[in-house]
Formats: sequence, structure tokens, C-alpha cells
Amino acid sequence: MSPTPLEDQVHDALHRTAEPLQRAPFTVTDVRARARRIQRRRTAVAGAAVAAVLAIAIPVGAGMVGPGPRSDVPPATQPPAPRITGTVRIDPLSASVGAATTVPLINVDEPSLTVDGETVDLPRRYDQLTPYVEGWIGIAFTDDGGGRAVQVLDPDFRVLDEAAPASGMVVSADGSRIAWASYDGSRWVVVDRDRDGSREERQTPLAPGPQDARVRPVGFLPGDALLVARTDPSGQLESAIVVGPDGTTSPLPDTLALGSASDVTGLVSMKTSVTADGSCWEVRDAGAGGAVAWQTCDYSLLGFSPDGRHLLGFTDYLTPEGSPTLAVLDAATGERVLDFELVGSRTSVVGIQPEVGWEDDETVVATLVTGDRQYVVRLGLDGTVERVGGEAVEVEPGDVSLKLAAPSVVQQ
Amino acid sequence: MSTTLVDMGARDRRSDKDADFSAYMSARQAALYRTAYLLAGDHAGAEDLLQTAFAKLYLSWDRIRDREALDGYVRRIMVNENNSLWRRAWKRREHTTDTIPETGAVDTYDDGMGGALWSFVQTLPPKQRSVVVLRYYEQLSEAEIADVLGISVGTVKSQASRALAALRARAPHSLNPHESGDDAR
Repeated sequence: MSPTPLEDQVHDALHRTAEPLQRAPFTVTDVRARARRIQRRRTAVAGAAVAAVLAIAIPVGAGMVGPGPRSDVPPATQPPAPRITGTVRIDPLSASVGAATTVPLINVDEPSLTVDGETVDLPRRYDQLTPYVEGWIGIAFTDDGGGRAVQVLDPDFRVLDEAAPASGMVVSADGSRIAWASYDGSRWVVVDRDRDGSREERQTPLAPGPQDARVRPVGFLPGDALLVARTDPSGQLESAIVVGPDGTTSPLPDTLALGSASDVTGLVSMKTSVTADGSCWEVRDAGAGGAVAWQTCDYSLLGFSPDGRHLLGFTDYLTPEGSPTLAVLDAATGERVLDFELVGSRTSVVGIQPEVGWEDDETVVATLVTGDRQYVVRLGLDGTVERVGGEAVEVEPGDVSLKLAAPSVVQQ
Repeated sequence: MSTTLVDMGARDRRSDKDADFSAYMSARQAALYRTAYLLAGDHAGAEDLLQTAFAKLYLSWDRIRDREALDGYVRRIMVNENNSLWRRAWKRREHTTDTIPETGAVDTYDDGMGGALWSFVQTLPPKQRSVVVLRYYEQLSEAEIADVLGISVGTVKSQASRALAALRARAPHSLNPHESGDDAR
């Protein structure tokens, strides 16, 4: 990267801005006070987790030795990740308790939002929430039958604007854009906005149709395009539509259901056929007219990593209980990089919920149900498994309470 | 209650830790504050970022063997904190119910081209802005930036490229590549 004049000017501008600043506002006492607050919060989170699983004895001080929490003090240089062979087993009861996830969580049964270990009650039940301008955008449940509304909220979750019915929402990999769809009485309209409100929202009305021909954004694509799924109400099959930045729409043919899209690579995943005991999926290049990159009948392909390099493979026959296994695949080739398997998956009903989130390019956060408890785990591409503290809750069979507030994979 | 040798040993260790940490803060606080300011864009945000980063560093102080790497640790914590959309939204929620501490600070920068460019840098999305600050202020390599941000070198390149394109699009004509000579390279 050899400097250009603009780069030189940016360099100069930053130095001219920063160099006059000679501030040292803190004493060690100030810092110790903030450290005590952080430590109290971590202790409370870890304590809640220990109480929730009832029987795990953690030695006093165990949290103070060994590697630090992932988000705090990483090593100065990252050694190359070892290649893991075989299957990594996920056992939330024996997994170490890691730092609170940076992926926020919603409890839909006792409406609340947990961010970085801190929890606030919500005034109503939300399926999804994400920061927007000075407040939030949320997808609220409007009834017990799956009805949803999109709401623009102020910082204290007061409703400023609302549209219903609405789909779930998706967020671009860099977090700068948000999209959803809402029904205006005669057609579904795809809406996307810049998170900071800097551009006027873009509305793309689709062809008129009934409300139950539901539309949902699946994910962003390069060049301000969007992959959208439209449900055929008779067969509940999904067709794929690419919405261009200029509002044009073009179909990607021969799909049964849509999985995920990468706004870095332009790859999309979709179910294309069903088999006697599962399904077959393809990865296609939306930028090359939907050309097939690779296909598999071993996995349901959901959830590209933010950098587009990896894709998550769930069981090829997904049920409401989720998937007993999770594979990390090379998104370009389909080659398996890593396999996770949930302990107990062969003897009882357990599952990883498909609405997962990527904390970063190398880390997945997922919720899973085993027995009558739901846990949150952090899975590293280096094969590490951590339980995210304080988040085990009791659930009814076949039900979930905890959801990622802005998952990378949106299924509804 | 009598003081035991164990108590005294713990006190001595805490005293040593605080002395070491204090020396590091004295030496590096002003410089790291400048980075925090460029990331946050205002003094209140910079103070919050830097205090959180120092606090997390303090909690991990005994585990860090490589004292040469301390600045890198602080930068990484500040960048991650600042890039968390959720953290920023959370702060706004707190500020609507609590009184915002008034710092009384006045931003100072020239009002010429540098000021204009700085104002454009402030409009970049947080990750792009982090890349710009780390590349053009801290002068880290792409690999070092990738390490700090926990992303691939390719993502660093694409974020930097998008940031420069956005700056070109928003900047005044005098920064247009046709007038600045970019095309000549």
C-alpha cells in the first residue's frame, strides 16, 4: 500500500488533530474504581452461570489465571491456528466459562436484553433488536401466532414509528446497513436503511400479492444489493429474488429455501432439493448470474462468516429442536474445516439453534438446548468451546427462551 | 486481628503492581488518549474508552509478560470497545436516564483542509475509521491492524479501500484524485 496524496493528507489531518492534545485525565485510583466495577460485573455473570448449572465446582481464583477473556487481553501476536482433526464435542456443563458475548441476547419469555453481561428489561417481547441512529430498530411480536412488527425506538425503547406486518431483519457484515420487509396492504416492500441514518431509506416494492406470500431479506450482497426470499403460500417453498441498488429485481431460479448470503463474496446458499431423509443445498455466485459453486447433500448451509470465507453446515434435516452437529466449511469449496457435535446428541433430544451469530471472523456464538436447559456457547475455529456465563435458562421441550438479538442467520 | 505474613505479601504485591501500572500510565496516557480521541471523535467518548481500556489492562496486568506489548493491548481494547455498536447504543440509553458528565472540553483542530478531512473521517463507519486511525495515525502495518482488529489482512485492505473511496467521495474538490495527483501513480 504505497501512499497516495489523499493518504498523506489523511495522515497529516489526523496528526494535526491529535498532536495538540496533551491530556492525562486519569489517576490509578480512577482506573482501579472502573476495574472494580468491571470485575463485579464479571463475578456476577460467572456466579449466575455457576448457580444455573448447580453442580460445577470452580476453584476460587480460577477466573484469574490462564488465558484472559477473549475480548479483553489477547496475546500480542496470534500464533497460527492449529488444524483440528476429528470432531470437537460441545458439552456446556464441562466447558470453561468465557467472557460475556459481544453478541447481544434477548430473552423472549421474560423480555430483556443482555449486552456484554448487563441486562435491561424490555417493555414488550422482541424477536430482534439492533442499534439504529440514536436508538434502536426492533422486530416485535404482535401476537402468539408469529405476527411481527418493525419498530423504530428511542434509546429507552419507546416506539417512534411502526409498520406491521413485517419480516425479520438482517444486518450487513460491517454493521452499517439494516433491511426488513413489511406489507403495505397490497404488496410486500423491501426496506433498507443506513444504521446511522445518513442516507434516505431505500424502498423496493415487489409485485402485488397476498400477505401470506411472505417476503424476508436473507442477507446483503456486494454493491448494495439484497437477497430476498418470497414464500409460495401453497407449498411454503421459497423463491429467491436479488434486489439491486437501483430497485430492479431479478430471480435466482430453482430454489426451495434460502440460507444465507455474503456481502463480501456475493456467494449465496440455498436448498435445491429434498431427499428421502434430508435435503441438498447449493452455494451459488449471485454475481455470476447464480452459477453453482458447489453442492452438498450432507448439510443445511446457513451463515457465512463476516469475511465470507466460512459457511456453517447444520444437519441436512433440520427440526425445531435444531441440529445436533455443526460443521464449519470453506465457503468457496465446501471443504470441511471443523466439526462440532453436541454431547448427548445420540441419546437425547438436543440441538444447536440455527439462528447463530458470528462474533468475529473466527468465532461463532450459538444457543443450544440440552435437556430442559438452554445455554449459550462460543465456538472458535481453533476448536475452542466456551460457555458464555450467566445465560443458562430453563426451557420447555421444543422451546427456546434465549435468542441472539441480531443473528447472522435469520430463519423466520 | 493480627496481620499475617500472607496478608503482608499480598499487600506488597498489590503495591508493586500499582507502582508498575502507575509508571506505565504516566508514560503512555497522553499518547494513548490521542488515539482514543481519534477513535471516539470527542473527549467524553475518548475518556470513556481509555478508562475502560486501562481498567481492563489493570485487571490483566499480572498475566502480561511482554511489557513491550502493553500499548498494543490498550489499542486493541479501545478499538473493540469503540467498534461495538451495542456498547454505543447502551451508553446512549444510560445517558438518557443519567446525567452526562460534562467535560467542558473544546475540540481543537485547524479549520482548513485538515479540519475538513477530520470531519469526514468522523463520518466513516467504526471499523473503517479504526483502520484509518491505526494505519495513518498509529502507522501500523496491515498485518498489525489485522491482529488488533481480529480480522484478516484482506478485510483490512477492503476496509481501507472503502474508507479512502468514501473520503474521496465526500472530500472537497481539492482532494479529488484528478487534482491531487492520484491518477499519476
